[in-house]
Amino acid sequence: MPRPTRPETSVLVRERLEKDANDLDALFVLAAMRTQAGKMDEGLSVLDRVLMMDPSYPGAWFFKEKLHKMRGEPDQAETAHVRGEAAEL
Amino acid sequence: MSAAPDVVKLKICMAGEAMVGKTSLIRRFVLDEYDDRYTATLGTKITKKRMAMVHPEDGRALDVDLILWDIMGTPTLRDLLKEAYYHGAQAILGVADLTRRDTLGELDSWSRSIREVTGEIPTYVVLNKADLTGEREIDEAAIGDHCHARGWPWSYTSARTGEGVERAFQGIVGLVLARV
Repeated sequence: MPRPTRPETSVLVRERLEKDANDLDALFVLAAMRTQAGKMDEGLSVLDRVLMMDPSYPGAWFFKEKLHKMRGEPDQAETAHVRGEAAEL
Repeated sequence: MSAAPDVVKLKICMAGEAMVGKTSLIRRFVLDEYDDRYTATLGTKITKKRMAMVHPEDGRALDVDLILWDIMGTPTLRDLLKEAYYHGAQAILGVADLTRRDTLGELDSWSRSIREVTGEIPTYVVLNKADLTGEREIDEAAIGDHCHARGWPWSYTSARTGEGVERAFQGIVGLVLARV
């Protein structure tokens, strides 16, 4: 009998967002998937939506810091880092 | 009257491939429950638990506030999200599935990714699904060789039966406390 496998992450994200368009876990992963696909503006936009709904969403500020660094925006990266440190206290 | 125990806060990241049982181990450890149905983790789930411990070096009573990060086992997003998930982590609980040989070797990649963010932190490995004795793909010698070469203590667990679960979490906490 074949082993069960984990569903594709993109499928999980789509299914979760169909049930709840504000599913934070799905949106966070969607932000990562968009970024990985080279659509960094979209990724950052989705990530900002996550942070708008939950400013203490685990790891989101540090991911935002990384995206700003990738875009060559050190000041915004530093701001995100400080917010991340505060959120994890 | 004895003094109140010191409180130590520890962030521990669960690491390992999808479907090795990371979420089930946390569920067993924190709630003493097990659910046979598989639900894939999307993103991360944070679970907190307070443990009463004794400092391994000086015998002090400690309350350890464990913050367990259960991170989806999706290697394709691992490097992109490593800072998000692993920032501030103090230890790694690496989980392999005794019925899937590759899951032990893959812990090297997980460990490397985490240490790129955290620097050197303790790693403890659990070989989960120990109850599936007839389906084992990894023998004890191979596990011992692999973990010994990397300096990783290890033990068997079964999230289904609860075997070894408490011991594993105590093991990783003890490793961290020995450095505090």
